[in-house]
Amino acid sequence: MKSTLSHVLAIVCIAVPLHAGAQVSNPFEGDARAIRAGERLYANRCAACHGADGKGATGPDVTMLWLEGTNDEAVFDTIREGVDGAVMPPSFAPDEELWAMVAYLRDISTVPPFDAGDGDAEIGREIFAANCGECHRVNGAGGTLGPDLSNIAAVRSREALIGSIRDPSAAMALGYRTVTLVAANGERIEGVVKGEDAFSIQVVDTDARLQGYLKANLRRFVHEDESLMPRFGRLRLSERELDDLLAFLATQRVDASAAH
Amino acid sequence: MSMRSVFAIAAGFVLTATAPGVLLAQSEPSDESDAIPFARSAPSEIVPGDPSDPGVSYADILRGFDDQSGWLTFSGDYSGRRHSPLTQIDRENIYRLAPAWTFQTGTLTRGRGFETTPLLYDGVLYVTGSNNFAWALDARTGRPFWTYQRDLPDNLTYGRSAPVNRGFGMLGNRLFMVTLDAHLLAFDRRTGDVLWDVVLADYEIGHAATLAPLVIDDKVIVGISGGEYPTRGFIDAYDPATGDLIWRFYTIPDWGEPGSETWPNEEAAMQGGGATWMTGSYDPELDLLYWGTGNPNPDFYGASRLGDNLYTAAIVALEGATGELKWHYQFTPHDIHDWDSNHVPVQAQLTIDGEERRVVMVANRNGFFYVLDRTDGELLLAEPYTDTTWAREIGADGRPIVLNNDGSGGCLPDQWGATNFMPPTYDPALGLFFVNARETCSSYVPFEPEYVRGEATMGGVVWTDRDAEYGALRAIDVMTGERRWEFRYPSATMAGVMSTAAGLVFAGDHQGNFTAFDGATGENLWYYPTGSRIWGAAAMTYMLDGRQYIVIPSGTTLVAFALPNYEFASPAGAVIGR
Repeated sequence: MKSTLSHVLAIVCIAVPLHAGAQVSNPFEGDARAIRAGERLYANRCAACHGADGKGATGPDVTMLWLEGTNDEAVFDTIREGVDGAVMPPSFAPDEELWAMVAYLRDISTVPPFDAGDGDAEIGREIFAANCGECHRVNGAGGTLGPDLSNIAAVRSREALIGSIRDPSAAMALGYRTVTLVAANGERIEGVVKGEDAFSIQVVDTDARLQGYLKANLRRFVHEDESLMPRFGRLRLSERELDDLLAFLATQRVDASAAH
Repeated sequence: MSMRSVFAIAAGFVLTATAPGVLLAQSEPSDESDAIPFARSAPSEIVPGDPSDPGVSYADILRGFDDQSGWLTFSGDYSGRRHSPLTQIDRENIYRLAPAWTFQTGTLTRGRGFETTPLLYDGVLYVTGSNNFAWALDARTGRPFWTYQRDLPDNLTYGRSAPVNRGFGMLGNRLFMVTLDAHLLAFDRRTGDVLWDVVLADYEIGHAATLAPLVIDDKVIVGISGGEYPTRGFIDAYDPATGDLIWRFYTIPDWGEPGSETWPNEEAAMQGGGATWMTGSYDPELDLLYWGTGNPNPDFYGASRLGDNLYTAAIVALEGATGELKWHYQFTPHDIHDWDSNHVPVQAQLTIDGEERRVVMVANRNGFFYVLDRTDGELLLAEPYTDTTWAREIGADGRPIVLNNDGSGGCLPDQWGATNFMPPTYDPALGLFFVNARETCSSYVPFEPEYVRGEATMGGVVWTDRDAEYGALRAIDVMTGERRWEFRYPSATMAGVMSTAAGLVFAGDHQGNFTAFDGATGENLWYYPTGSRIWGAAAMTYMLDGRQYIVIPSGTTLVAFALPNYEFASPAGAVIGR
């Protein structure tokens, strides 16, 4: 296997003048063999902290880097130098290996272009305001209980978004999981969990109030399997309306390079 | 007596106020006419600060917890129990326990903070921190006497990814600390000056050193880190006076020596890991050191190192005088999960089948709790203390009956293990072993690693379901291995544990709570949110001026707790503090 990697690198290694000019591009960008090699290197050296899928473990999510406006050279430099003040170590591996890892990271970070479909974005805006805006916001307008959807079309596929709308409980994002609390006075509180330890729980309730509770003062608390977001089945949101809503969300997609 | 002179006498230094808030420490003897010896449980002729004070002797360390105003070695004594005889803080008054002081390092850390156990001698705490900082602190106030920072190279290997340190060793007036570039340093405890500096190993190939040295009679015992790299672990003994190497024990035998047949070839063996990065324990009567050994390397890829891979993921018993191997027991033969056995081996005296046995106990990263006869390594008990599906029993031959080695047959403990290096504790009065257990859910996918100088060779990837994890402080009956009680946390914790003769157990969690429990029942009696996860460190405790302090390292702070100070007077009758 060692020879396989060397082989890959030998084939794709192109002499490029690094650090000449404004921004160095990855000599292996999009190269399938380099990406495979990079995947192996990532698994070996990075996954313990950044997670096997790159979505973070003890270290941060590295699948959002390009969306957040970084570039290949900056990622290369971070792998090379490590991060001061953080646990991320420097790497002394050859440049080719680092570029292979960059190619892999970019590959897993790239979301295919969002299929906006043929809905009417203007009608979708009204559907959003009537059904979603109480909890979700786009471009600063809307509620705070649910996630910000301004860039959602840049990071989720059309299929994933449809899944989240039709069956929101199937996969609840961390920080948006539902809890039901019953206070000592019998008051019932629903909200999403922002933090929890053995003794306390930090909640944003359905009135969007930030509320901390000591567990000892609660009659009970239950982590719910159901999202606070209602299911938008076909009776509630027709296929036509769904198309319109997705068209609206697609218009919100912010081009990473333009955003930064 | 002014506060200043109390302060100076207590610490054994003359303190000169050069500017508001600035104190200089000088190693001159005190000439304060009203100087009184600082009260210690063992009266001494020596006035603290007197240069004739020979400092800590081997006999002092042997006495362990007998000196209630001292904490002279990593676990408090050689037994590794971390069980203090102090009882001032008890079940009835612990609700009044409050912070007495906080020390903040003011330094950045790269991901991991304090994992240290401060040593206490003569009213001064000697503390090591991340990135090889170190301090001498007034144990009453947390105020520093001196600060040390090592100038580290910028191409650290293992030491860059885990830039931690777990504490000093101490003998005479010397402190001993290992470094991230794999050196061993001796300091003058009075000044923080480095007296000698020796190289343990080549850090550029992957080594580092992070453990608290263990001082035995005229030897400084240290181990090495770097088992994630193609390295070969060892345990060393150094002369405390000169830094000369007295003996070295390699955790992987020389090729052709007994144990080497558990490796397929010499190349695999000589880079096969077996690091020794956690402080061991010592039986002075048997002159045996007990030391845990780390994972074989590559961590997850076993195909290049077929065989049991001795003496990795094991405990070794070494003769203190010579470093000669007396016995070993391998917990995880041919490990492929990064399940280092770098735990503090905990000693006890148990009556088993009517017979007094000197035992050593280990709650292992593989999910089993073990009791071994520490004279010969005979396995006396091995029971799972977690819900691991890796194995549920250890066979008559002492080997685990492995059911699920890669996680395909149900969750396995993750690569951080069912517990880790954070110290456990043992209360002999209750017969209970307390450990922070981690219930995690992982599967393992190996890859053949690439060998690049200075790069880790993990050799695989671990898939973990973080939603399925939780942590629990567990009380294990050492006679049966049964769980007596547990206290659960929402996520797996890496906090160490300490117990006291008041029947208290002090633990912590990943959310930063420092916690206290009734050891007999598991009732949570008290907690304090420190603001940063408690990670690898365990509490230590001491008496000063008739007042019991409990210190917990958390993030980049140390917090000392005590009962409110107005309740206590100094031995001389003056009220200490405000």
